[in-house]
Amino acid sequence: MAIGVLFGVFAALLLIGTPVAAALAVSTLAAALVLGLPEIALVQQMASNLSSTSLLAIPLFVFAGELMLRGGISEKIISFAAALVGRVKGGLGQVSVVASTLFGGVSGSAIADVSAVGGALIPQMIERGYQRDYAVNVTISAALVALLVPPSHNMILFSAAAGGGISITDLFLAGIAPALCLAVAIMVTAYIVARRRGYQAEPFPGFAAIFTRLVAAIPGLLLVGIIFFGIKSGVFTAIESATIAVIYAVLVTVLVYRRLKWADFVHAVSGATRTTGHILFVIGAAGAFGWLMAYLQAPAMAVEAMQAIAHDRTLVLLLMVLALLVLGTFMDMAPLVIIATPIFLPVAKAYGVDPVHFGVIMILSCGIGLLTPPVGSVLFIGAAIGKIDVAQTVKGLWPFYIAMLVVLLAVVLYPPLSLTLPAWGR
Amino acid sequence: MTETGSTGASGRTGLLDQLEALATILAASSLVAVVAVQAWQVFARYVLNDSPSWTEPLALVLIAVTAMMGAAVGVRRETHFSFPTFANAAPPTVRAVCRAVARLAMLVLGGGLAVYGAILMLDSFNVPMAGAPLPVGLKFAPVAVGGALIVVFALERLVKAFREAKPAAAHGPDEEF
Repeated sequence: MAIGVLFGVFAALLLIGTPVAAALAVSTLAAALVLGLPEIALVQQMASNLSSTSLLAIPLFVFAGELMLRGGISEKIISFAAALVGRVKGGLGQVSVVASTLFGGVSGSAIADVSAVGGALIPQMIERGYQRDYAVNVTISAALVALLVPPSHNMILFSAAAGGGISITDLFLAGIAPALCLAVAIMVTAYIVARRRGYQAEPFPGFAAIFTRLVAAIPGLLLVGIIFFGIKSGVFTAIESATIAVIYAVLVTVLVYRRLKWADFVHAVSGATRTTGHILFVIGAAGAFGWLMAYLQAPAMAVEAMQAIAHDRTLVLLLMVLALLVLGTFMDMAPLVIIATPIFLPVAKAYGVDPVHFGVIMILSCGIGLLTPPVGSVLFIGAAIGKIDVAQTVKGLWPFYIAMLVVLLAVVLYPPLSLTLPAWGR
Repeated sequence: MTETGSTGASGRTGLLDQLEALATILAASSLVAVVAVQAWQVFARYVLNDSPSWTEPLALVLIAVTAMMGAAVGVRRETHFSFPTFANAAPPTVRAVCRAVARLAMLVLGGGLAVYGAILMLDSFNVPMAGAPLPVGLKFAPVAVGGALIVVFALERLVKAFREAKPAAAHGPDEEF
């Protein structure tokens, strides 16, 4: 009865457009009233989840990403990527993928990625005669790479939603090979589409230009090294690493690139606080929801239900991927990771799936949802930058969907793709 | 993130605008303070060779301020994550009712946070926090204050929903279809 109230009220509220945090909290309250549990316990759960040590790094990485977005780091990276791969057919598309991959390694956010790289490259591609849908599609597909590379805050979110027991360093390492595979798959797809549409290559600026632009991009790119090796070596915790990322981003954008003005800083900090408010508010409410789910033994029921349907590990993983892809079309990534992890992870563990492997699968599956209507924030941002209708964009997106699904399938079916680097790192 | 709705430019009162601005300033200052506190932690550990114990509890209180103030501003601007497809596809009257129920749910959440957050804060204000010379109750202060702000902003949006519902009902359900 209580579990029906919990999920029924949640689904009903969600369907009528209630913000996810309120839907989670009110459905938890309704189920708690049915069970006769004290309401104050729910607020206590929510408060302790709002200010949890494992989540402290997220607002700081979001803040660092906002600073880099406004501080000129992306421009140096794009310039370097243009020198590196611009001479391939449909060169600006290739530039977009390389720049997104490199900037993703600095910002860790697909939204920051599409805003920074897309903001600069989509208008350039359109000006050079590329069709709008191609310009948008290649950029938004490449932005997904940011979800898988350090300092991906969605990885931290997954670790926190899993109860904080999964190493963030392992998750960061596990995402690297799939991220590179995804980048290559999107580059190949972009090349095929570019050839079919007859897009031209960009002139080769020479090796000297590659070197000069690399030197200019290095201060920004160094950040990924600082973050990653800082955490890996144990010199910094993830939170301290995020702090260093903020300070470094301020120093580089103010002193080296001389682009970050006071107004940009104010925009960056207010943007970061809004995103923090949205994400942590859902996390807080999901904490209370998850606590009640555990009280009602919902994860155990999910495991039993799955065991009744399928016995094969791969089949179970594929069923969960399918569920995440479907849910991802309707829900934004952060709430989906927060809500689905406590239900799906115990199922994956029951079938012997490594939690780190499952983390990569989950991030990639939910990430694809960022490119699907009706709720795909990266898709919407890209379409807005390219000044093109979302429906028109989606029509040309299918080759990129195929590329992403192929990589997702490879990640699911071949665990060493994710697990080899973490094993080497230990 | 999903931007669901207007920024609420119309129907704003000066006081609520100021409250929103104050909440934004508090949230932003707290986030910058978290950076400063954590930076001090790194500096003290590696340069002064004296790792302070107060940095983490203080950072957690500050981040709760950022989260709750940011959440309250999100309620006013209606920018919280949501799943709007059914409500958007419905006739205007149903849409207005859905919007009112959604805002009511936010009001309930804000009210619960304000009331129970205040109780938790008062109950634990004399208990010292582990690692920092602060009361445990301080952890719940952002929840209580943020909850109260959410109530105020959700109430404003709810009144707006009722105002919108009246013309929708007067024009009939299928006006836009």
